[in-house]
Amino acid sequence: MFINKSMTRRVITIGPEAAVLEARRKMDDNGIRHLPVVDEHNKVVGIITDRDVRSALPSVFSACKQAPEKIQQISDLKVGDIMNKKVITISPMDTLEDALLLMQKSNKGALPVVDRDGELKGIISTPDLIRAFINVLGIKEPGTLLCIVVEDKLGQMKKIVDAITEEGIPFGSILVARHWEKGKRAVFPYLLTVNVSKLKRKLENMGYTLLNPMEWSLDQTRKN
Amino acid sequence: MRRTGFLYDERFLLHDTGPEHPECPARLLAIYRGLEEAGLISKVRPIKARRADQQWIEIVHSIKLIMRFEEACQWGMSELDHPDNKICGKTFETAMLAVGGILDTVDLMMEGEIDNAFCAVRPPGHHAEVNRVMGFCFFNNIAIAARYLRRKWKLQRIGIVDFDVHHGNGTQNIFEDDPAVFYYSIHEHPSFSYPGTGREFERGSGEGYGFTLNSPVLPGGGDAEYKALFEKDLFPAFGEFKPEVILVSAGFDAHVDDDMSDIKLSTGCFSWIMKNIAGMAGKYSGGRVISVLEGGYAVDRLSELARNHVEILLGIKA
Repeated sequence: MFINKSMTRRVITIGPEAAVLEARRKMDDNGIRHLPVVDEHNKVVGIITDRDVRSALPSVFSACKQAPEKIQQISDLKVGDIMNKKVITISPMDTLEDALLLMQKSNKGALPVVDRDGELKGIISTPDLIRAFINVLGIKEPGTLLCIVVEDKLGQMKKIVDAITEEGIPFGSILVARHWEKGKRAVFPYLLTVNVSKLKRKLENMGYTLLNPMEWSLDQTRKN
Repeated sequence: MRRTGFLYDERFLLHDTGPEHPECPARLLAIYRGLEEAGLISKVRPIKARRADQQWIEIVHSIKLIMRFEEACQWGMSELDHPDNKICGKTFETAMLAVGGILDTVDLMMEGEIDNAFCAVRPPGHHAEVNRVMGFCFFNNIAIAARYLRRKWKLQRIGIVDFDVHHGNGTQNIFEDDPAVFYYSIHEHPSFSYPGTGREFERGSGEGYGFTLNSPVLPGGGDAEYKALFEKDLFPAFGEFKPEVILVSAGFDAHVDDDMSDIKLSTGCFSWIMKNIAGMAGKYSGGRVISVLEGGYAVDRLSELARNHVEILLGIKA
C-alpha cells in the first residue's frame, strides 16, 4: 500500500512571502489544518499549521485593544517568519504503514509527500488514513462483525476461515487483536451477511468462544 | 373494538428460501396459528393479497432492479446478488402479491373501511434500496406504502417506526432527503449488527435533515433501554411532526429468544411498544396505523407476539 495511492494530490500550498493572514484564510476556506510552504520550484521549504497561525495572531479577546503599530506588525507577518522549517516528509513510494508509524512517532497530523528532488507531489493526512482504515475494515459494505477468541497457535485461522467458507458467507475483512490475554488472540471477522446465527452455533460447537460484544477491544493491554 | 385489517395469504408461503434459512414460511404459519388459537381471525377483517400493479413498485425501485429480479426467478436462479437473498420460481410473484396486498390495505384504511391493520407478509422489505436487494429483502414494502400515501392519497406527513432489530437502511436511504416522511428506527448498534448503518449522527440530508432519527442500542440491551429511548427520541419527535398516518416496520427479532441479535426484549416490551405507537396514532393520525412484518425468526415466539400485536390494534388487549 504505497503513499501515492492514498495521498491527496491536489495540495493547497502557500509561499514563504505570503502573509500569515492569507495562510489563515486558505485554511478556513478549504477546511484544512496544514499548508506546505513551497518555493517557486514547488520545493518544500516549510510547513505551517493552524496552531502556528493561532499562536502568531492575537486572540479574539485582545484583538480590539491592539495599538495601530501592533496591528501593522501582525498584517506584515509572513509565513516564512513562523513556519516550521524542519519538515517531516514522506516519499510517494513509502507505504501507508510507514506513514502510520511516522505520524505516531513524530506526532504530526500531516506529512507532505515529496519526490527525490524535494518537489511536492501530494500530502498524506489524517483524513486520508481514516478513509484507508474505513476501507480496510470494509464497514461501508453491509455486514456483521463477530469476535472469536482462539489459542495463539498455528492453524487456528484456517479452521475459522474454513468454517465460515463452508457456510457460503463472504468476508469483508478479518482483524486480529494481537495484545490479548496470554496465549490468546481475538479474531474479528467482518462477514458480509445478516445471517450469522447458524455460523455462531457452529463455531461454538467447534469449541470456540464467541466474546460478548460489550467486551470487544482491539487492544486489551491498553489501560488508559 | 377497532376495525383491524389482517393481510394474510397462503401464497406468501410460496417464497421458498431453502433449508435452514431463517426467513422461512414457518414464520407466517406461526403468526396465523397464534391469531387463530386466540380466536382473533373472526375479529379482524381478513384481507387477501392481490398482485401489485408494477407502476407502484416503480415509485420506489428502478425498473432495472424489478426486471432483474423477475428474470432471476424465471431462470430458476437460487439467489439474487448475495447468498442471503434466496429466491425460487415464485419469489417475484410473492413479492408482487405482498406489495399489492399492502396497497389494498392502505386504500381500505384511507376509505375508512378499517381503522388500522397488520400485514403478515413475506418477503420482508426494509433493507431493500432503490437499486439493491439485500438482507432477505427484495421490494421495500413500507417505503412503497409511504410513497403511495403521498402520491395517491396526497398526505403531507407520514411517520415510519421501525423496531426490527436491524437498521432499515433501505427505508432510510429512500427518504433521506424527504421531509414529508419521518423515519425512526431503533435497533442494535451498527458496530455489532447488520447492516452497519443507523448511527445516531445519521439525521437525513438536504431538506430531509432532521426527518431521520436513529436510536442504536448496545448489545445486551433490553426493555429498559428501549423504553427510555422511545421516550427520549421517538415520542417528542412524533409529537412535533404529527404524522397523518403511522407505518410500522414490525420486526420481532429483538426478542430475547431470537438469536439474530444480542438484544433481549421481553414479549411484554413488544406490547408496550405497540401500545405506545397506537397511542400516538390516536393522538396524531386519527388512529391510522399500518404495521408490516419485517424480521422475527424465533418461530416459537411469533404466535404470541403476533397475537398481542393484533389485540393491541383491535384495542382489546388488557
